[in-house]
Amino acid sequence: MEAIRRSIDLSYSFIVDLSMDQIRIDLTSSIVRVFLTLKVENTGASQASDVLLAFPPTEAEHLAIVKASTAEGKRKRKTYVPLSVNPTELPDAPNGARLFSISLRNPLKTGEAAVLEVLYIVTHCLEPFPVEISQSETQFVYYHDSATLLSPYHVMEQITYIKTPNNKVESYTRVDPTNRAGTELRYGLYHDLPPYSYSPIIVHFENNNPFAVVEELVREVEISHWGNLQVREHYKLKHAGARHKGVFSRVEYQSRPSISGVSSFKHLLARLPPRVHSVYYRDEIGNISSSHLRLGSQKSELEIEPRYPLFGGWKATFVIGYGLPLQDFLFESPDGRHYLNFSFGCPLLETVVDELTIKVVLPEGSKNPSSAVPFPVNQQLEVYYDFSPISMLAEPLMLVSAVFLFFIACIAYLHIDLSIRKS
Amino acid sequence: MAPKPISSPVPVAWYPSLAVLMLSVGLLVTASFFIYEATSSRWNRRLSKEIATGAVASFFLGFGSLFLLLATGVYV
Repeated sequence: MEAIRRSIDLSYSFIVDLSMDQIRIDLTSSIVRVFLTLKVENTGASQASDVLLAFPPTEAEHLAIVKASTAEGKRKRKTYVPLSVNPTELPDAPNGARLFSISLRNPLKTGEAAVLEVLYIVTHCLEPFPVEISQSETQFVYYHDSATLLSPYHVMEQITYIKTPNNKVESYTRVDPTNRAGTELRYGLYHDLPPYSYSPIIVHFENNNPFAVVEELVREVEISHWGNLQVREHYKLKHAGARHKGVFSRVEYQSRPSISGVSSFKHLLARLPPRVHSVYYRDEIGNISSSHLRLGSQKSELEIEPRYPLFGGWKATFVIGYGLPLQDFLFESPDGRHYLNFSFGCPLLETVVDELTIKVVLPEGSKNPSSAVPFPVNQQLEVYYDFSPISMLAEPLMLVSAVFLFFIACIAYLHIDLSIRKS
Repeated sequence: MAPKPISSPVPVAWYPSLAVLMLSVGLLVTASFFIYEATSSRWNRRLSKEIATGAVASFFLGFGSLFLLLATGVYV
């Protein structure tokens, strides 16, 4: 399923809700994106400074990003309301529901209403069923969710839209009123729902989008003050969809691509910064030549093709390396420290990374390193350190002294008299 | 606050030219050093001149090989 659009109205001891507003939709691959449009109203006595979102524990474990924003101005949109991540605040939250708190920019006074847009992304929640498929079968997955949004507030009106990649929906749970039209499944309109109401639904549908998961990614960033940033990334890639069973017939795969291996993938796209140079793509065997690099002024795209197409359960390991100009990423902060501003996440598009390790190699003679890692992911990583420019002379002085030692050795050899007889 | 980007003290475009220049000067001075050693006898040699020539040659050869390494992409 591609995305769920929900429009939810909440009411709580502070907040009541009104009718719903704009609904938006998003299309994705193996990652589920959910857009919520919440119209909240404060019916309590005091001001409300934040709004709570609840997630069932299984969903909260796989939550990649939660973002909230509120519209300001007529046609312009403010991008962010800062979202703070909180552990379970309310002691009476049932069944281990995890809560997130959205801090409002202006506290909501009694009787006021506000519209919030929330985006959250959940990974690893599409379960392939059947678990094993052969080369000529398509992939079906289960999506588990609730027809009603889990919310600590009382909900007046709610509607949910689910968009699947195509028309092939095997089955779905009916929670009336439910309707399906083509690729869109609608659960709603529900009225007057109590807090924490949850009606589980399962949608079984066809999804042949590439389920690319990077099990482990190790990124090494080496800073050289002579003008270069060298990045090396070690990937362990896996196809996390329905496992492949039976034989793999290359003849069938190449002769009938629309039937054979529809859920497999051959290409992966990586987005790299604009002024990248010396890009290489290799694995333990050697260089992999099936790749294309497109340089641009805003970004560069590297399209890589592993040595074999990836079917369910298959893995591939490779290394991607590239160099970047230093002045795009290294800056001097006002207090004299140097800081590196580098993107935290994985450059591969539409892939999920399970484990990410970043190593930053600072130049010789750096002191006091410290790092600031913001969450959620896909933000910039900042590493601070002190570095005096004199330390850059360490390398040339090493070379100079090595050569000078050679000359001293020559002089010494020519001055030493090793003859036994006096000449 | 616009952060000031940091770049190399020597413009990166100069690396190959600097490498060639400094290495050729260094090799010339090295040649002069060995010619002096070959043409002077034991009693005419002056240690201060030998060391001075050696120092100048090693300075140019050292920096020249540094820029050679940088120009080929080995960013030390």
